[in-house]
Amino acid sequence: MDFKVPYNYLPQQFSEHQLFFDLWKPVLSSGEFTLGPFVENYEKKFAEYMGSKYCIATNNGTDALILALKALGIQKGDEVITPCNSFYATTGAIVAVGATPVFTDVDERYQIDINDLKSLINTKTKMILPVHWAGASPDMFKIQEIAKENDLFVLEDACMAIGGKIKGKRPGTFSEIGAFSMHPLKSLNVAGDGGMVVTDDDDLYKWMKKYRNHGMSDRNTIEFWGVNMRIQPLQAVIANYFLDYVDNFIKKRNNNAKYLDSLLSDLNGFVKVPERPEGFLETFSLYMLLVSDRDSLIQYLIDNGVEAKIHYPLPLHLQPASTNMGLNTRALKKAEQQADELITIPIHQYLNSSHMEIVSELIHKFYEGKK
Amino acid sequence: MDFGPTTQSSKADLTNAFERVLDSGKFVLGPEVKKFEQDFADFCGTKYAAGLANGTCSLHVVFKALGIEEGDEVITAPNSFIATAAAIAQVRAKPVFVDTNLDFNINPEAIEAAITPRTKAIVPVHLTGRVAKMDQILKIAKKHNLIVIEDSAQSVGAEFNGKRAGSFGDAASFSFHPLKNLHAFGDAGIITSNRLEVVEKLNILKNHGLIDRSTCSQWGLNCRLDEMQAAFLGVQLPQLEAWTEERRKIAKFYNETLGKVVIVPTEENNEKHVYQTYVIRSDRRDELKEYLNSKGVEALVHYPVPIHLQPAAKNLNYKNGDFPVVEKLSKEILSLPLYPGMPFEFQEIVTSLILDFHCRK
Repeated sequence: MDFKVPYNYLPQQFSEHQLFFDLWKPVLSSGEFTLGPFVENYEKKFAEYMGSKYCIATNNGTDALILALKALGIQKGDEVITPCNSFYATTGAIVAVGATPVFTDVDERYQIDINDLKSLINTKTKMILPVHWAGASPDMFKIQEIAKENDLFVLEDACMAIGGKIKGKRPGTFSEIGAFSMHPLKSLNVAGDGGMVVTDDDDLYKWMKKYRNHGMSDRNTIEFWGVNMRIQPLQAVIANYFLDYVDNFIKKRNNNAKYLDSLLSDLNGFVKVPERPEGFLETFSLYMLLVSDRDSLIQYLIDNGVEAKIHYPLPLHLQPASTNMGLNTRALKKAEQQADELITIPIHQYLNSSHMEIVSELIHKFYEGKK
Repeated sequence: MDFGPTTQSSKADLTNAFERVLDSGKFVLGPEVKKFEQDFADFCGTKYAAGLANGTCSLHVVFKALGIEEGDEVITAPNSFIATAAAIAQVRAKPVFVDTNLDFNINPEAIEAAITPRTKAIVPVHLTGRVAKMDQILKIAKKHNLIVIEDSAQSVGAEFNGKRAGSFGDAASFSFHPLKNLHAFGDAGIITSNRLEVVEKLNILKNHGLIDRSTCSQWGLNCRLDEMQAAFLGVQLPQLEAWTEERRKIAKFYNETLGKVVIVPTEENNEKHVYQTYVIRSDRRDELKEYLNSKGVEALVHYPVPIHLQPAAKNLNYKNGDFPVVEKLSKEILSLPLYPGMPFEFQEIVTSLILDFHCRK
């Protein structure tokens, strides 16, 4: 069906074919299809944007996480503490390097519960892997403090947070390594898969660059077993182009989000807008609310042309993948409750205040008579 | 729209594919990947194919899907590209190398000698565009109940006993790296197989372990074939047989012209060699390479240091002398430029330089 307020804006974003073909032209005529100057240009620009020393672009955000975990030496027997409400890739990456994910509950802003995190640290704990979930952020200053006290690595999953800020500093730059995704529906996106890591550490940078490309130190020397997780140059030039616009995208998303926040503020008891603390610039990769009678509301919105979604109905610790592995299955109450109440509303940069008004009117209508 | 010098496919068809994908707004695991998977399976003569991000992660994922894991031994050749052994190491299994024959492909007798109770799989590599001795390899595998995964990265379209590379084993891995006979405009790969349960499993693994949007059945990875690259591959695939014939024609010319001064590749009656690389052997390889390079001919060595002697393989405790044939070949092999559309005068430059080199001394 055609939505009045659609979730997917890609046909619009990529409607000017010539523009994208012009971006591709130099790549196609050079035949530089694996790494090379186009990727390097993009990496340099992204590192500058982040205020980081180095960027290494990867085939996707999952690979970025795996690359970082490997670089920090996380392996079998190590525990990595991470929230239970991320996208599957966060935990997938931990398991991919052989380590054990340990899930925390979440707070009112859907971010890692810092008290729970503290209580889970033990002698096997090697790393904290916080997620800038939905493009909002946990208190990274606090997390760094805990990591220092306990001598733990921090790897930030900033896959949804490109363009955000925490007190002037970019998500993904608080730690040894930050990992990012440019999946088509992320704040900075490409026309396929793409991702990257940033770091300020010379040794980590050198190692990750080799690991990404078969562990090669030169064409004929394989220093260690590596993989192929190279970004496609055709995607790197698209990322390079959109990076100039990402701040503007975030601004538009923020305008929509704040406007919808205000339109819904009178629905106390039915709709709970999360706290938006001072100093946090969110990317609103997902605009999420807690609502009562969630499943009926979603159906109502969809029936009326608003492409609402759930991210996600089943938290990570309750997924078959976790139970099959025998991971800890203690109740994580807040996350489980949120999974039943969360709804994601489209507020992306191709929507405006009139779309927010349509959404608000429908939500008001849905709860009318229930007050 | 001009797609550059690396392709001879129709610009209109490529442009059409490009516009179709942009308009769809579907960039990840959409209809283009699905269609190409079926077309490619048909081409290879297998029931199924599953697109992957590249020919390295394809090996990694298919090993996982076939249950190869820590403690298992996997027999393969040490003269491949590094990815074959690296993917074995990545699932924490142990690569066990065996020597090759002078045709660059794994020696079946050596395979049999290397089998232990821990051996789980054989990964023959169809190197340079020529299928390994799959009749003997499959017989050994059957006898010892071993899995066979063909590393077909260099041999798309190659034939042995009338069957195409990728259709012999439990599964086969292909690369569409830009320098391959069938290539994308970036990294891409695929797995072929007749075993539905293997393909289903690896399709789940390659997409985060998801069986639907909300259910993760096992923790997985992301190594998906790009929708756009799949659309381009779909345009290129129908051209492949013509490109292969061109390669074979150039190879025939090289063989006839150079056969007297260097050792040229051979082809048996039951084989179809697709010359992904055209590799000659010379006992003055380094000199010849330098001479050709100095005259502007890009002759390369694939590969000068066998995998068992790479720093990465240090823990496997191999040493120089373990694989005499591979080690001898690594000092003699030289890959000559050969590609579809290569002008005849370029071919003649290559051959006359090599003839000159040998006449002078």
